[in-house]
Amino acid sequence: MTRATPLLAARGAGRRFGHRDALEPVELEIWDGEAVALVGPNGAGKSTLLALLAGALEASVGSIERRKGARVGWAPQRPAQYGRLSARENLELFAKLEGEHDPQGAAARLLREFELPGEPEPSANLSVGNRQRLNLAIAQLGAPHVLLLDEPTAALDPPQRARLWRRVADLRAAGGSVVFATQNIEEVEQVADRVAALREGRLVYAGSIDDYDRTDVESLSA
Amino acid sequence: MKRVLLLLRKDVLVLRRSPLLLGILIAYPIALAVLVGLVASYGSSKPRVALVDEDNLPATVVLGGHRFDVERTIDAVSKNVTLVRLSPDEASRQLRDGRVVGVVTVPPGFVSTLRGMVHSPQLQLELSTGTISSRVEQQVQALVYSLNRQLQRAYIASNLRYVQLILRGGDGSFLGAPITVLGIQRAQRLLRGMPQTKRTAVLLDFLHDARLALANTNDALSSTAHPIELVRAPARGRTWALSAEVQAYALGLTITFLALLLAAGSLAAERDENVVGRLARGLVGLGQLVWSKVALAAAVALALGLAISLAFGLVIQVGGVTGGEPWRRLPLLVVGLVLAGGSVGALGAFLGAIAREARSASLIAVLVVMPIVFLGLIPAEIVPPAGWISALLPFSHAVDFFRSALYDLSPWREVALQGSWLLVLGAVFGGLARVGARRLLA
Repeated sequence: MTRATPLLAARGAGRRFGHRDALEPVELEIWDGEAVALVGPNGAGKSTLLALLAGALEASVGSIERRKGARVGWAPQRPAQYGRLSARENLELFAKLEGEHDPQGAAARLLREFELPGEPEPSANLSVGNRQRLNLAIAQLGAPHVLLLDEPTAALDPPQRARLWRRVADLRAAGGSVVFATQNIEEVEQVADRVAALREGRLVYAGSIDDYDRTDVESLSA
Repeated sequence: MKRVLLLLRKDVLVLRRSPLLLGILIAYPIALAVLVGLVASYGSSKPRVALVDEDNLPATVVLGGHRFDVERTIDAVSKNVTLVRLSPDEASRQLRDGRVVGVVTVPPGFVSTLRGMVHSPQLQLELSTGTISSRVEQQVQALVYSLNRQLQRAYIASNLRYVQLILRGGDGSFLGAPITVLGIQRAQRLLRGMPQTKRTAVLLDFLHDARLALANTNDALSSTAHPIELVRAPARGRTWALSAEVQAYALGLTITFLALLLAAGSLAAERDENVVGRLARGLVGLGQLVWSKVALAAAVALALGLAISLAFGLVIQVGGVTGGEPWRRLPLLVVGLVLAGGSVGALGAFLGAIAREARSASLIAVLVVMPIVFLGLIPAEIVPPAGWISALLPFSHAVDFFRSALYDLSPWREVALQGSWLLVLGAVFGGLARVGARRLLA
């Protein structure tokens, strides 16, 4: 995998729903080992940008480029899993779809790592926190190089948050990257080394965390 | 293909975990098929027709020396309609309200005209407007036909008495007046007792021929009164419930309902579960997602259709009913069930893609399935536009396929034709569903 090109890039990518511009054309590159925080108020376009980067949505304008061979994991804000399947069955199904060599083994490992219940209870009956953990666990399938996480810690308790960020740190140490949308300023400061701020569907700031003024974040989110 | 099968397996697992939903999905269309059957049989039940008696029909009428009990005669001839005696005003009111579908009026002077045997008396028939009126008219015509047959028998018997009188001679009456007739036989005896001349020989020849001719009058009168007689053979065919039509419609209706609802609901449910984006980012294409629902519909249609066919086959076998091919044609039926399930499933997937939410999709599917089925039930010869629209939907092709596969001696041409229709319609609706599935991502 060449490092001359970014792992993932939005090239003037924008998205329109009907007559409404959910996201105006955005330029953003994600490089190896980076942690990029997407910040901005509700409805700013963070989830849309993440969905475009994940390939879950098609860009209305522009394009998304992915380095050849780069794998992407995506955890949308609202858990994306089958409510009538158990956590294990969800993981096994998505492991097979991701092309994991040992789907059962991968599912068992993630159940253990994310402390998910192994019993055959439908995932719709899980607590909100457990469903979010399952959502994040599914995103880990297929050994992704880039993790796209949409408000990943919103439903997690503090120990689980800590475990998630440790996992992200491990991924970055291995050369992987993370792009996460958050409303939590502390997480931005602790995890991110670059920030992309959006407001009303427009990218209003993209730069390093060092250049980023904390006051600007709060004013953007107001 | 592997991914389509993975999703299909998931859907079957989800379905198995919803026994109540599965039970309703199976029981509902079967109950519906029975109800449609009952409605169809109601269609051949007796319509209510008013009888307005403006002639004050007597309890008995003597015609041609035959005594008719009026009530019993009306009961005997009105097998296909329920005749209710009403006053003229009440009959008009009920006809307007639709409580009776026709009014038969016996006008004043009807019986005296009948007794006179010079003119044909008339019954007046007034019908409601609407599609049933032609059927009622046929049934009232059948009623008059039955009445005429009874009268004909009486008139023929009366005429034959005169013929016998002419043949054998004796006392009788004509138009109420007593008469004495010499008769051909006595005339022959008298002539033979007279001196034989050329003239008596000619007369004897004539009387001989007349006697021979009159001897055949009985059969001749009967055959000219009914040039063609319909004789009903003893009932031999299957009961209504085991008929080819019922089996084909039961299969068609059950599969259409189930496949449409399942495909529509399960495709829209993918969006409700928020997994469409997760699948569409390279794991499963939207086309594969649509075809997995088509495959689900085909698989469930196959399982349920086979179960229904096996049940029919067993009943036919145990009951010793002949006709049809309940077992040998099962492989052909399997092809039809898969094609029909897939074709209807593709239409269901299209509805699911349009509706986007499982609840809306299910509601739309339930609303759509009834018109589809009823369009297929309307005979195209009676309402051609219904036939044209139905030809563009899978239901009628599925029914024709099943009927031909199970009962035609040589089904191949019909099966190939209807199978092609199902394939083409499935491909068209599947393609539309694939285009519409983009809406699931929004």
